[in-house]
Amino acid sequence: MHGEYKMPGGKLVVVDLDLRDGRFAGVRLSGDFFLEPDAALPVINAALEGQPTGIDDATLVAAIDAALPAGTTMYGISSAAIVVTLRRALHEGAPA
Amino acid sequence: MSRSDWRDHDWQLIHAAPQPPLLHMALDEALLDAVGAGRRPPTLRLWEWASPAVVIGRFQSLRNEVDFDAAQRHGIEVVRRISGGGAMFIEPGNTITYSIYAPLAMVEGLSFQESYALMDAWVLEALRELGIEAWYQPLNDLASAAGKIGGAAQTRRGGALLHHVTMAYDIDAAKMLDVLRIGREKLSDKGTASAAKRVDPLRSQTGLPRAGVVERMLATFRRLHGLADDRLREEELAQAQALVRDKFGTAAWITDVP
Repeated sequence: MHGEYKMPGGKLVVVDLDLRDGRFAGVRLSGDFFLEPDAALPVINAALEGQPTGIDDATLVAAIDAALPAGTTMYGISSAAIVVTLRRALHEGAPA
Repeated sequence: MSRSDWRDHDWQLIHAAPQPPLLHMALDEALLDAVGAGRRPPTLRLWEWASPAVVIGRFQSLRNEVDFDAAQRHGIEVVRRISGGGAMFIEPGNTITYSIYAPLAMVEGLSFQESYALMDAWVLEALRELGIEAWYQPLNDLASAAGKIGGAAQTRRGGALLHHVTMAYDIDAAKMLDVLRIGREKLSDKGTASAAKRVDPLRSQTGLPRAGVVERMLATFRRLHGLADDRLREEELAQAQALVRDKFGTAAWITDVP
């Protein structure tokens, strides 16, 4: 599944993932945002990996924030925007 | 620590003969580290391209951004840079690309937007002197009334900031759209219906040859901030070549975000 979200006032955020046994699998975040350190990218993917599909958005945002390395900076992207993108990927194919 | 100003630093210019795309990627890392470690004074590097390339941002998906078959058909190499931001389509002579390697002290306490505005100010002045009214358009674009002129990207590591910019001098928009996948979502808040309209090149706006635009830009930097002619050192080139071999030229790096 594939979702894209142009964060208002920000950059393009993209999430690709699969579902396995009711959980997120193979989560891959990408886009033209700015994120430092760059090692934060796989950390975010790992924080989303294996989460149950029934999880609420606030818990997902908190999971990302808790996993980020100390001093991580984001420009044109946010934890909330990542979760919006992930929801779009899950609803892929549904009418807008 | 108080913020330093352009004139507090002894700016150096590196403007070498055309170099291959992978070497440019590696030079950005090598020179950023050199300035961050205090081995090199703050530096402006003007890029000359030896061959065409698509340069994708640090976090862009290779598959989502590039039509690989089309790139191969056109003989265009795909490389990944160390900064975030979007894909650039490069043909020698068609873009003006430069990097600023600045001490972090220059952006101490500034927001990201303020640090882009600070680093872009001299080039906006240069464009104004060339008759182009241009401005920094957050988050990281250079814009004019006629359309986008270029884009900037920053990354920070050690004690230094990299601010690099690619401006379109001339552009084969059809070829660019053949090679880059520019999605509808990306264009959703840009206010233009066609991706080709997003870029307005400098050639049509200045009527000057590319080298003339570059010369005027460097003269403006020199006048505003001071600029001494320098060259790439042996050990810097050797380090960049090692980075090409061990990092930028590897499949692991190019496909790091597949």
